[in-house]
Amino acid sequence: MKPQDLLALRETFDSNAILLSFNGLFSATLIEEIGHALRRHLEALEASSSATADVFSIYIELTQNIRHYSRQKNLPDAMASGTVVISHRSDGHYEVCAGNVLHLADGKALCRHVEQLAGMDKAELKAAYKLQLRMPREPGATTGAGLGLIDMARKSSQPPAAALQVLDEQYGFFSLQIVI
Amino acid sequence: MLDLNIPATTSTPCIRTDTARGVLHMSGDSYPENAFEFFQPVLDWVQAYLGDSSLPLQLDIGLLYLNTSSIRIMMDIFDSAEEAFVAGRDIRLVWHYQPENERVAELAEEFSEDCSFPFEIMAYTG
Repeated sequence: MKPQDLLALRETFDSNAILLSFNGLFSATLIEEIGHALRRHLEALEASSSATADVFSIYIELTQNIRHYSRQKNLPDAMASGTVVISHRSDGHYEVCAGNVLHLADGKALCRHVEQLAGMDKAELKAAYKLQLRMPREPGATTGAGLGLIDMARKSSQPPAAALQVLDEQYGFFSLQIVI
Repeated sequence: MLDLNIPATTSTPCIRTDTARGVLHMSGDSYPENAFEFFQPVLDWVQAYLGDSSLPLQLDIGLLYLNTSSIRIMMDIFDSAEEAFVAGRDIRLVWHYQPENERVAELAEEFSEDCSFPFEIMAYTG
């Protein structure tokens, strides 16, 4: 990056009130380290303990989802990387956005799922959550409880929003925005 | 029966079992990315303890943040306890939390909705 290009990047950060962001390949350790920094940072900003807990929880679910997906699909490193951005908006809400490369079919299914959740009220989300909690675990599955998205929708103060941008005939970039 | 004594890490809770006293203790944050694998020894201990004797079981919980796959496993553990309770076993659970951590109390509250055994959610005082 040319030194004079840094200002444009800084302006993007400032205008979106970005507190913390990461773009690259997540490891389990890196997720922990960034999570730790995020918690300390929110505490230093005197965020309420509930807001800190919610932002942290959404950050963990989103980044672990990205890791699980790329490993499950054996994506090459260039496609396995994720982007996460945490902001403190001028309306006082915290926002977590995360994105990664997906097979188009998976991306479309995920967008439909998010849309479905966005149309549900708190009581419906709770019912869906309890139902998912009782679903039998898939044999051999290490995780992927399927609860993550519903849990994030429940913690969110506005309906979750998703976007899928087509990269080529096989892949797309899926991104999800959760506002706390 | 072999007891568990697993120290806490950044993303995994401290886990201790005491077969002689019938206590399962779990405390701290729990967000390992392989939660099912991590908690398998706990599930095994609970199954064995409930199967091998008819002694009481006390769940002593001080868990803080749980990722959703840890929540899923916790439900399995509580379901085993519930099944034993319904069959006449003495089962009790106490979930301790710091009063400022409202989200912990809310999470415990949701678990308690699905359990009929004594389930106490207690704020630390002082």
